[in-house]
Amino acid sequence: MSPGDRAEGMVRLRRAVAHIEAEAGPAGGRAARRMPLGRTLDAALGGGLADDGLHEIAPAEPQDGAAAMGFALALAARFLSRRPASALLIGEGFAAHEAGALYGPGLIAHGLPLSRLVFVHAPDAALAFWAMEEALKCGAPAAVVGEIWNLKGYSLAASRRLLLAARKGRTPALLILASAYGQAERLSSAAETRFEITAAPSVKPKAAAGRDLPGPFACGARLIKARLARAGPEAPLQAFDAKRVIRLEWRSQDNVFEELAFGDPAISLPVAAAAGDGPRAASQWR
Amino acid sequence: MTIGLSLADARARHPNLVAVESAPMEEARLLERLCDWCSRFTPLAALDCADGLMLDISGVAHLFGGEEALIEDCRDRLAAQGFTVAAGVGGNPRAAWALARFSRVKIAPDPLSDKAFAKLFHDLPLAALGLDDKTVADLARAGLRRIGDIALRPRAPIAARFGPMPIARLDALKGLERSSIAPRFRPPDFCAERRFASPVQTFQAIEATLCKLADDLVVMLERQAKGARRIELELYRVDGDVRRIRVGASRPLNEARAIVRLIAERLASRDEEPIDAGYGVDLMRLACLAAEPLAPSQAELERAHEAERARALTELLDRLSARLGARAVTRRELIEAHLPEQAEAAAPATLGQARLRGENRHCQERSDEAIQRNAEPTTVSGLLRHSPSQTGVSRRPMARNDGLNGAPARPLRLFVRPEPIEALAEVPDGPPLRFRWRRVLHDIAAIEGPERIAAPWWRRVGAPTRDYFRAEDSEGRRFWLYREGLWGRETAQAKWFVHGVFG
Repeated sequence: MSPGDRAEGMVRLRRAVAHIEAEAGPAGGRAARRMPLGRTLDAALGGGLADDGLHEIAPAEPQDGAAAMGFALALAARFLSRRPASALLIGEGFAAHEAGALYGPGLIAHGLPLSRLVFVHAPDAALAFWAMEEALKCGAPAAVVGEIWNLKGYSLAASRRLLLAARKGRTPALLILASAYGQAERLSSAAETRFEITAAPSVKPKAAAGRDLPGPFACGARLIKARLARAGPEAPLQAFDAKRVIRLEWRSQDNVFEELAFGDPAISLPVAAAAGDGPRAASQWR
Repeated sequence: MTIGLSLADARARHPNLVAVESAPMEEARLLERLCDWCSRFTPLAALDCADGLMLDISGVAHLFGGEEALIEDCRDRLAAQGFTVAAGVGGNPRAAWALARFSRVKIAPDPLSDKAFAKLFHDLPLAALGLDDKTVADLARAGLRRIGDIALRPRAPIAARFGPMPIARLDALKGLERSSIAPRFRPPDFCAERRFASPVQTFQAIEATLCKLADDLVVMLERQAKGARRIELELYRVDGDVRRIRVGASRPLNEARAIVRLIAERLASRDEEPIDAGYGVDLMRLACLAAEPLAPSQAELERAHEAERARALTELLDRLSARLGARAVTRRELIEAHLPEQAEAAAPATLGQARLRGENRHCQERSDEAIQRNAEPTTVSGLLRHSPSQTGVSRRPMARNDGLNGAPARPLRLFVRPEPIEALAEVPDGPPLRFRWRRVLHDIAAIEGPERIAAPWWRRVGAPTRDYFRAEDSEGRRFWLYREGLWGRETAQAKWFVHGVFG
C-alpha cells in the first residue's frame, strides 16, 4: 500500500466515523444536552440540568441528608434512563455507619436499575474526589453520584477539577455535600448548579381508618446557584429565584418529578414539560 | 559438639557458649522467604523438610552457565545474605537431597551409569536415603551401614525384614521411581524478566523496566491471542527480599499501557506499601498468572460505540479496584431472603461474568415489568405484594412500589446496625405515635404497617419477629421502624428500632 492509498483510506474511515457519530449521537463539540426536571426549575435552569456539569446538592439541616440523597438518586435515575450505561455511586466508607448504607431493594423502589449501579467506597474524601474525577473523565458512566462528608479538601480548585472532568467525559456529576447543611449559600465552588434540599411532607393517601399512609418520595428543593452563561440565549434570567423552595414529588415508576404546591397537597397536576421525555411519561397520559 | 547434647554438658565443654532459643516458626518463615527468593532461579521452588529447599532446575541451568555455575551463583548470593548453604544437583530429588547433605561430590553426572552410581552413592551412610532414625538403627544392628550394603544385597530379604521403605528409597535414588516436588507457587502461564548486572535502585529505572517487561509480556500473549486476567510483578532485591505486587483485570488485557497503569494504581493505593528498592533490585519479573483467550472484537459498527464505552467502564472499574481494593468497588444483586439486611449481596465489580448476567437480567426485568404494567394498570395495594402468578417468576421479592400511590416499600438507606429508639405507642402492639431518635423527637404524621418479618425458622435462627412500619414525621422525613418481638408471646417489653430512612 502506497502512502497515498493509506491517506485516502484514513480520510474514508474518518468520514465513516463522522457519519456514524452524526447518527449515533455523541460527537466532539456538541452543546450540553439538558435534562428537564419540572416547569419552575427548568425555567430557572435554562431548559434543565446540563448533562456535562457539576451539580451540588446540600441538605438544609442535618436531618435532611436522606432527602438530599433521594433527590440526587432521582436525578441519577433520570440520567440513567437516557443512556444504556451504568451509574457510579461513590461515597466515603464510614457513611454506611453514620447515615446508613445504600440499600438495593430501596434503590429499586426509588426507580434505579440495580444491575446498572456500581458502588464505590472510598476510605476518605480525597480518594472519593479522585474516584469521581476518574469516573467523569472516562465518560463511560451515565452519571456519577458522589457523597462527601469531609469538605475540608473541597475548594474552588477541587470543584473546578470535577467540572472540567465532567465536561471532558460529558458525564453529569451529582455531588452531595452531606455535611454542608446551612452553608449552601456561603460555599463558593465552580459548580454549575447548587440545590438545597429539605424534607417535605409527601402526598399522603387516606387510610381506611386511623392516620394517613406515607406517600412517595418528596422533597423541597431550593435552587441556590445556576450558572446561565452556557445556557444559550433563550435562558430566561428572571425565572431564577434563590429564595423559592419548590416542592417536588418523585414518581419512581414514570421517572418524572412533579411539582407540588406547598401546604396544599390536594392540587397536584402532572407537568407537561417534565413528561415530554421518554415513552414512560407518555403512558401516563393514556 | 553433637546434636542432642544437653545444654549443661555443652556449657561444661565450652564455657563461652552462647545459647539462643530456637524459634521454629520464625525459621519456617525465613525458609519460606528464601524459597520465594529462589524462584529467581526457577519458578518451581519448593520447601524441603524444615531446613531445605528443593529447586527443579530442569531446563534452567544453562541460563546460568551450567549446573556448577548455578550452584556457585546461588551459594554466593546466599552467602552475601549470611547463609551457609550445602547444595547438590542430581537427576531426581532424592539424589540431589543425598548429595547436598551427605556427599563431597555435589553434582551427579547425567546420565548416570551403574558404575558412576556405585561410585557416588555406595559409600554414603544409609541416612542419606532419608529413612527415619529407627529404620537406620535397625539396619545398623544388622551390620548394614552404607547404601552399598543394601544396594548389593538381594532385595526381598531386606524388604521382608525392614519394611518396604529402604528399597523404595533406593529405587527413588536410582531414578527408577518418579518423584516430584510440590512448588510453593504455580508456575505462571507467561512471564517476562530482566536481570540487571548491577542492581537498580531508582524508581524511574524500575518503572522503565516495567514498561519493557509489559511490552515483552504482551508480545507473548499476542502470539497465542490471549489476554492477562491476573498479573504479578516480582522484584528480587539483592538482600534476598522479594516483593510481589498482584493486580487483577476484569477483561483479558493485552495492552502494555493498561498493564502498567494497573500496577501503578495498585502501588498508589493505601494498603500497598511503596516500593523500597533497598540495596537495589537485581531481577524483575512480570508474570501473567492467568490468561484467557481474547474475546473476538466487536464487528458491527453500530455497536462499536457502546462497546467502546463498556470497555472504558471496565477499565475504569479495574483502575478504581486497583487503587481502592476490589471489595470497595461492587455491584449488587437481590437475594430472596426474608430478613431485609440479607436481601442483597455485593460482589466485586471486576468479576465480569456476574455483571453480564445482571445486565441481561435487567433487560428481562424491564421487559416483563412493562408487560405487567400494560396488562394490569393498577395493582392492588397490600402488604402481600408477592404474587408469583402475575409475574410468572418469584425473582423479585420487593416490588418497585407498594401500591396505588407509588410509595416505596423499602428504604433508600439501611443502617448496618438498627438504631434503638424510644417510641411511644397507644397500645403495646400498635403503631407508635412519636419517637425519639438521635436525641430528636419525631411526631408521626402518617404511618403504614405492620409488615411482619420473621427470621427463617427453618434454619433455627431464633431471632425475634419484627413488625415493620413506614412512618412519616410532621417535617416530612420518612423512616422505616420496627418493633422487635411479638408482644406478649416473645417479649414483654417492646423494643423499637429505626432500621432505615426513605429520604
